[in-house]
Amino acid sequence: MEKVLDIQNLSKNYGGITAVKNLSLEVGPGHVFGILGPNGSGKTTTLAVITGVIAPDAGSFRWFGREHYAGMRKTIGSLIEVPNFYHYLDLVRNLSIVARIKNKPLNDIERVLRLMNLWDRRKSRFDTLSLGMKQRLAFSAVLLGDPSVLVLDEPANGLDPEGIAEMRDIILQEKKKQKTIILASHILDEVEKVCTHVTILKNGQSIAQGRVHELLAADDPVIVSCGESGRLQEEIVRAGLSESIEKNGKELIIILKKGMEAKDINEFAFSKGIVLDHLETRKKSLESQFLELVK
Amino acid sequence: MRSIILNEITKTWSYRAFQVIILLHFTLFFLVVLATSRMDITIPGFSTETLYQFPNIWEFFPWIASWFNLLLAILIIVMTGNEYAFRTFRQHVVDGLSRIQLLSGKGFLILMVAVYSVLMVLLFSLVFGFIFSSDYSDGAFVKKTYILLVYFVQAIAYMSAGFCLAVLFRNTALPIVLFILYRLIIEPVIRLFFPPEARLYFPMKVISNLTPMPEFLSIASGNQPGTNGVDTLSFREMGLMAEDLPVYLNLLLALGYTAIFISLAYLLLRKQNL
Repeated sequence: MEKVLDIQNLSKNYGGITAVKNLSLEVGPGHVFGILGPNGSGKTTTLAVITGVIAPDAGSFRWFGREHYAGMRKTIGSLIEVPNFYHYLDLVRNLSIVARIKNKPLNDIERVLRLMNLWDRRKSRFDTLSLGMKQRLAFSAVLLGDPSVLVLDEPANGLDPEGIAEMRDIILQEKKKQKTIILASHILDEVEKVCTHVTILKNGQSIAQGRVHELLAADDPVIVSCGESGRLQEEIVRAGLSESIEKNGKELIIILKKGMEAKDINEFAFSKGIVLDHLETRKKSLESQFLELVK
Repeated sequence: MRSIILNEITKTWSYRAFQVIILLHFTLFFLVVLATSRMDITIPGFSTETLYQFPNIWEFFPWIASWFNLLLAILIIVMTGNEYAFRTFRQHVVDGLSRIQLLSGKGFLILMVAVYSVLMVLLFSLVFGFIFSSDYSDGAFVKKTYILLVYFVQAIAYMSAGFCLAVLFRNTALPIVLFILYRLIIEPVIRLFFPPEARLYFPMKVISNLTPMPEFLSIASGNQPGTNGVDTLSFREMGLMAEDLPVYLNLLLALGYTAIFISLAYLLLRKQNL
């Protein structure tokens, strides 16, 4: 399966400050790839490099398995940082400029404006729009010509809760169409709901990367309670099933060794003649995982 | 290329500042040539009417038009500064344009404005020329029309300098102030520190000398005591002021400076984090 984007050892410095350091990642077709990180972690710099705005100091990246060139970006819908349009032009004229650059038909403008509920404002100047409308217009430009790859940098910026929900629905619709989406965001809940894969950046470096559910599953604590919790704790330690185990009254909080699941503990306890009263895996949110990683 | 041209037209056509500057440029030129035509100066060997007759008008009108080239340069600075202010250069790159295509867009705009300016001079020259001339022979009509081409190069050179400054400073206000200061104060002062022959090779001097004051007008004003013409002649006699360079050399130098301005702008565009 051909990779949509392949970044290898990418580095970018601004003066003496390292924005991105030795970043490598791969995005496959149909992936919704989240790039997470605190402010200044290198998310926007990474997207600016892969969209040709700035040149990397080291490393390389390839789109669709080929060397990057300007015309290639016409097949990618990108929204980097804030919406950038001519303030004195109306929505249709602004989008017609984008459509001509991307070699997309001008009659697609109506479709994307209707999709983003901006058709009634098509004759309005850009500078008369609210922040949320500007963001929706930027998203309209991204969707022009129905590109197979979307690169979105904080697409929910400036949107109210309703707007954020609408934006998420649109991204999910695009995801259903098997589009590849690269999404940088600091709204972790959104990333968790939308993304299939994620990388977490800190100081320009990737500190964790993988499928979202795998990343979240790692280190999920298993909570067990039973009448013989002391004996069970000893048995588990003796068998070397846990990374750590903590007793809290009748409850045991267990971090399992890699590859083990909660049901394995149930079977193990049963084999030792211990009946469990309660067994659950306490799922971490992406937010708690993220906060632990970037600490 | 067609889409780049259509986009430049879309950007400029609906822009109020563009409309205002072009209208101002057109109106000022018209008012000056109209007002001058109403002036009745008659001195031995010269009358105002002479200026408006073929072939003198081909020399006189481009010279008048060159006074307003500053407005055209400001126009290009504003249009380029907008691309940075609205971050649309950045967006165009994200959407798939290369740096050279960004440059081509502005290059087309410069050409478009220069063509407008030449057409304006041509139109007024024909109208006033036919009103004031009595000799419509080929010799009188065609002679000196090449100055329109020279004026075309001059307009392009001024606008390229403005474009280069706008790319360098990435905004509108500072390049406009610097352009005016450099054109009117900085370069003339710097030139004073150089020998008269060397002064002719400075960029603004080369570009402005493309359309010098018409010869017959300098001589005519030179007949008037106490005018600049007398000063000019005496400075030349004293060896303080060099003779102007030949037109072809001036033209080549202006084209060279234009190439430098455009190349510099391209190098800056390539390096910039838009």
